[in-house]
Amino acid sequence: MRILIVGGGTGGTIVANNLARRLSKEIRTRKARITMLSASDQHMYQPGLLYLAFGQMTPDELYRDQASLLESSIIFHVDPVEEYKIEEKYVVTKSGKRHNYDVLVIATGSRIAPAQIPGMTEGADTFYTEESAIKLFKKLREFEGGTIAIVVGVPHKCPIAPVELVFSLNDYFKKRGIRDKVHIKYHYPIGRIHTIENVATWAKPEFDRMGIEYETLFNVEEVDAENNVVKSLEGTETAYDLLIAIPPHCGMEEIEANNLGEDGWIPTDRHSLLMDGRDDVYVVGDTTNLPVSKTGSAAHFEAEVIAENIASVIKMGTPVRDYDGKVYCFIETGHDSATYAMFDYKNPPDLTNPSKPMHWFKMAYNQMYWTSVRGLL
Amino acid sequence: MTTENETPDVEFSDVDLQQLIEVAQLITAARDAMSDEIVTRLSGALSEGVSLLDRITRNEGLMQLLQVLDHPDTQNWLVALSESLHVASQEIASTPPTKGGVLCLTRVATEPGTLEALRFVAALCGNMSQSLREQHRKGINNT
Repeated sequence: MRILIVGGGTGGTIVANNLARRLSKEIRTRKARITMLSASDQHMYQPGLLYLAFGQMTPDELYRDQASLLESSIIFHVDPVEEYKIEEKYVVTKSGKRHNYDVLVIATGSRIAPAQIPGMTEGADTFYTEESAIKLFKKLREFEGGTIAIVVGVPHKCPIAPVELVFSLNDYFKKRGIRDKVHIKYHYPIGRIHTIENVATWAKPEFDRMGIEYETLFNVEEVDAENNVVKSLEGTETAYDLLIAIPPHCGMEEIEANNLGEDGWIPTDRHSLLMDGRDDVYVVGDTTNLPVSKTGSAAHFEAEVIAENIASVIKMGTPVRDYDGKVYCFIETGHDSATYAMFDYKNPPDLTNPSKPMHWFKMAYNQMYWTSVRGLL
Repeated sequence: MTTENETPDVEFSDVDLQQLIEVAQLITAARDAMSDEIVTRLSGALSEGVSLLDRITRNEGLMQLLQVLDHPDTQNWLVALSESLHVASQEIASTPPTKGGVLCLTRVATEPGTLEALRFVAALCGNMSQSLREQHRKGINNT
């Protein structure tokens, strides 16, 4: 049984390690083989980028060698896939090598697409790459007062990020003693301040308490970088001194180029996590078109289901589990408090009061992440 | 069975309360002393420790080695090895450097210790080759 995993992010790595544990005997006796193809030899802890933007982490803390996170029985190549031949059951990589498979797991993730909005690349800062997060931190350090506007593109990775950004900005300027000189204005594309209703209900009084101005139904049309103005499709505009954008995201180019899914999101069964119409192709994490958050946490829970099902199909000819839409998100409510949201397809999140121990739990998780992708947690 | 109006029949003495206060003070002190850096360092060490433990316990070879090391005979061997290491290192340190040459080599080769060492290494290698061939045969036959 040749299992091919394309993508070495959170989802792909957990599927690979979890499978390697479950199929250790089959791998040892050469009945199963797990191969991973990734675009990079490095693995990035993406939630750390927000900490980087506020000087709470340094870039080196975000990375580990991908090979060091994988079970030794997994064959790993840094050679991204360019062609998917789903009917013929093989892929072709950038180096021109062909990889045949019996089961394919696509875990290629997503990417930011600020270019979808005119002026956003030039006019807005983000924290979705190492470079942009460092650039934002330098700007925040030099910021002495004025209006900071936050705009949100859709769809975007980590739904909690805009809210966490607001809390972090509030605490950061409070600690610098210039909070009264900084006006924070938050814009959100739908009719409330967060897509998850319970999060919106919880965050609104918090925003009021912190003195955050917010405008809902603000879908960014363009950024006028010359005049420092951001305009909405709804006809309103906001002048800013610093614009921070959660840019819209899309799936990877190769997914779209191979006609696997519109905008790079692959149509996926919400329970089995199989690509629609296939019984040999699984999709995990951001790459799916599922109505769940594009977070490492969703990828984690999905990956466990996929690994367990692939292993059980090999061992007893049938899958054993369904994905229930489970997501668990930490929410940093400042630099020393946090809460969390847990939800699934059926149950909305029920947020608890922020606390310091919860913040420490998040700090601890930043380290335990590496244990998590190794398939232990 | 208790009703809503009944209060539990539990009494706290001053000593009990004082002890509770002390525990609360201890927790508060620990909480105040804690910082993000401490939490990060501790959880980092714990995380790596757990990963290491996991790798060791799932490594068939290492587990087999641990079992062998745990055997009384092997413990005697380990004691002998550590004592020999100690004595040999002292001997080497206190003996003038060898002059080398064929005669010197012949003298060392005829010493009983050298022959014992060769016999031990030969037995070790012979058994290891046999075990490796056996494992390889099992692997191929199972595919």
